[in-house]
Amino acid sequence: MKARPLLTIPTAILFLFLYLPLAAVVLFSFNASRYSTAWTGFSTAWYLALLKDDAALSAVKNSLVLATSSSLISTILGTMLGYGMAQTNSRKIANLLHIPICLPDIVQAVSMLLFFSLIHRWLGVFELGMSTMIAGHVTFQIPFVALVVRARCATLDRSWDEAARDLGATPAQAFWHVTLPMLRPGIVAGAMLAFTLSLDDFIVSFFTGGAGSTTLPVLIYSSVKRGLSPEINALSTLLILASAAATILVTIIQKSPTIPLDDEKNPAAVPSRGFA
Amino acid sequence: MKRIRFKSASLPVAWLAIFFALPLAGMLTVSFLSRGSYGEITLPWTIENYRRVAGFGLLGFDPLYPAILARSVGIAGATAFLCVLFALPIAFFIASLPGRWKTIGLVVLVIPFWTNLLVRTYAWQILLGPHGWISDLFAALGLIEAGGSLYPSSVAVMICLVCDYLPFAALPIYASVERINWELPEAARDLGAGAWQTFRHGIFPQIRAGMLAAGALVFLPATGQFVIPDLLGGAKTALLGNLLQQQFGASRDWPFGAAIATVSMVIVLAGLSLQARFTRKET
Amino acid sequence: MKKILLLFLLAVSLNAADSTLRLFIWSEYIDPAVVADFEKANHCKVTIDLYEDAESMMAKVQAGGGGTFDVVVPPDHMVVPMTKLNLLAPLRKEALPNLKNIDAKFLKPPFDSENKYTVPYQWGTVGIYVRKQKGKTIEPTWGLIFDPKLQPGPFMLIDSMRDTIGAALKYRGYSFNSIKPAELKEARDLALAAKKRAIGFEGSVGNKNKVVSKAARAAIVYSGEAARGMSEDAETVYLIPKEGSQIWLDSLAILAHAPHQELAEKFLNFCLDEKIAARISNFTQFSTPNEKARPFIQPELAKNPAIYPPPEVMAKLEFLTDLGSNLRLYDEVWTQIKAR
Repeated sequence: MKARPLLTIPTAILFLFLYLPLAAVVLFSFNASRYSTAWTGFSTAWYLALLKDDAALSAVKNSLVLATSSSLISTILGTMLGYGMAQTNSRKIANLLHIPICLPDIVQAVSMLLFFSLIHRWLGVFELGMSTMIAGHVTFQIPFVALVVRARCATLDRSWDEAARDLGATPAQAFWHVTLPMLRPGIVAGAMLAFTLSLDDFIVSFFTGGAGSTTLPVLIYSSVKRGLSPEINALSTLLILASAAATILVTIIQKSPTIPLDDEKNPAAVPSRGFA
Repeated sequence: MKRIRFKSASLPVAWLAIFFALPLAGMLTVSFLSRGSYGEITLPWTIENYRRVAGFGLLGFDPLYPAILARSVGIAGATAFLCVLFALPIAFFIASLPGRWKTIGLVVLVIPFWTNLLVRTYAWQILLGPHGWISDLFAALGLIEAGGSLYPSSVAVMICLVCDYLPFAALPIYASVERINWELPEAARDLGAGAWQTFRHGIFPQIRAGMLAAGALVFLPATGQFVIPDLLGGAKTALLGNLLQQQFGASRDWPFGAAIATVSMVIVLAGLSLQARFTRKET
Repeated sequence: MKKILLLFLLAVSLNAADSTLRLFIWSEYIDPAVVADFEKANHCKVTIDLYEDAESMMAKVQAGGGGTFDVVVPPDHMVVPMTKLNLLAPLRKEALPNLKNIDAKFLKPPFDSENKYTVPYQWGTVGIYVRKQKGKTIEPTWGLIFDPKLQPGPFMLIDSMRDTIGAALKYRGYSFNSIKPAELKEARDLALAAKKRAIGFEGSVGNKNKVVSKAARAAIVYSGEAARGMSEDAETVYLIPKEGSQIWLDSLAILAHAPHQELAEKFLNFCLDEKIAARISNFTQFSTPNEKARPFIQPELAKNPAIYPPPEVMAKLEFLTDLGSNLRLYDEVWTQIKAR
């Protein structure tokens, strides 16, 4: 199918529309003025101020710790789920996983807040803080990782696994030495997706966070509510660069930036769930 | 053999049962409890929270909450419609690119989506604020006064919603477009059909499922959006998400909030099952 | 893989190193230098979490069951609910020798008559922060917000339930603490009409910033924010409306299950010291209830009627009282104001 100008022009306008907010943030992060209303000159002052801002550095640390821990756990659990789903080939479970993906995050977040508060009151465990946030993040990451791994499983050639068994390997050995390496690109892509989802998450962190557990998105939100500090532009620009890098990395690994939500019969490809 | 395979999935399923399903069940339970004088959750069991959602509050009947629900569903629907509409040219464009360029096109489309929603939302504050680029554009066109601001307003909320969800809609539609069997529309053309008819009968039926999936993927989460109306709506475009945030925040009325959340969940489940049924009919 | 695990464990253990004091406080409400001095004197670290409005603070504390933080700064009307919910720890007077520095007027407040749970921190008022108009004195009235004919330009309402509803009640001549449904309905309608003309709702700090950045001409703020705004921009002024307004008292308190109770008590006593209290008030530009600290307050602040109003203005100020179960009424009104 050849490209027609009828398509190119609206597409170009729409892409411009998509990139406009990002361009504004990046541009104003170098603006000498405090207010993002007029350009008064080029300056890297805000990036330098970031390095001295304790609250920002602490938020970065919290976000990284949270994303790393939750991704580790959810990748393991998600891979197990994805692999299990591929074996049983059940449509029901795949459809059930649509629920956590499509349910508005705020509903999940408040239900978790309720859950953790009540458990804390009755059993004394799960004080609101990093542990509850990690649990919350793992919960919304698992369905995504599972679907990525399951899609990857669909491309596997079972004959390798069978050959290993024929040669005397136990099912566990066959899985560990033969299947898992072949699944690796899918697992890595799933892990990266989980990491980005956690880094970007605002709602779950907002509701289930506790003392000293402010993450980057929560910090940005409070700053915006209070009246923007220009360092936030610098912080956001760095976030944008990190996300762009992650997208490109995943594309290189997977040969595609999209993560298929479903099997071929019902294509609903989804890049990530970046909404708060 | 099957037993071992099931074991693989049992741990994650247990996790999801504890941390996803159980909290939701807990919320359903709390929605039937009452709020104490100081914000604690107490007995008695009651359906008053749901009556309040339907509009029967302390100060008499007020269609406030049903109106907010309707508004949220309406705005989410409009967003889904616009996203699907705008996604069509993008999907066809990328599908028309040769080989490797397709991947590059997809990456370009997806990068904004992988960036943080908060960043994109407050960026629209900058663009739509006084002397923001878009505001200046509108002022130059005489649509608003010079130095005026396009936010907070429901227009600002819609602009940001569409911008944020557009890639989310474009991808399922692109997946459908990629697999169009071009013989059908070509045959229609050969038989003398006009452009619109070719589209309607040759192309549209083939991408209908993808468009529906895209619409659902945008509509369902959009009903619970909170950050965008909060930052760009200035508390003037209160939607379901804002209402929930208030009940679990300042108002400290968890049972009432739980009732609202349950209603929202029912809407989503209904939407999903509708979509599943429709798609099953297609395939 | 092992390396990642190691790094992760390292990060977690570093987190748990020193003893830490967890402070939950309004934004821009304590001098960072004072906090640093406390950290040095006690060989500890202080983590600070911020909130913008009283109700959110209460929600966070309640959700955490009274153990998430050590020290919180509850406003006057929150103390009774927090004590009823067993969220605050009783204070040991022996640990707080500096309590005697407080002005007798503010000791034993109505919401905590024996200072069992709280010590006074800062007090202030609620008023309107406006940009001056050339050649015209602006009349101090809530009509600036609620009367379309007196509107000075784009304005902000405050994202705080008691403050916005109270302002509307006061404009009509009712009590700041009214629980009569008819009066509340009037206040609700006033607020809704104002909301249509307003830019939006935000906290006191955000409102102050909007006026200073000229995004708004007027906003409802707390006295300390207005004072800081006025020192940034001399073209602005703080008005306490003639119909009357609210006087509030914020206190320091320790949460019932605070993990570092002794350190928290040291912190409270530290803040009650006259020189420290003066430094805090000089920074926040709110009013100090600490009598011994008054000589150390900066002269421009001590003479500023926005921060230390004259007696005739003080007579028209009301404290907020706890509403008990009638809070539900306010919640409903507030939801209607925010959501319609």
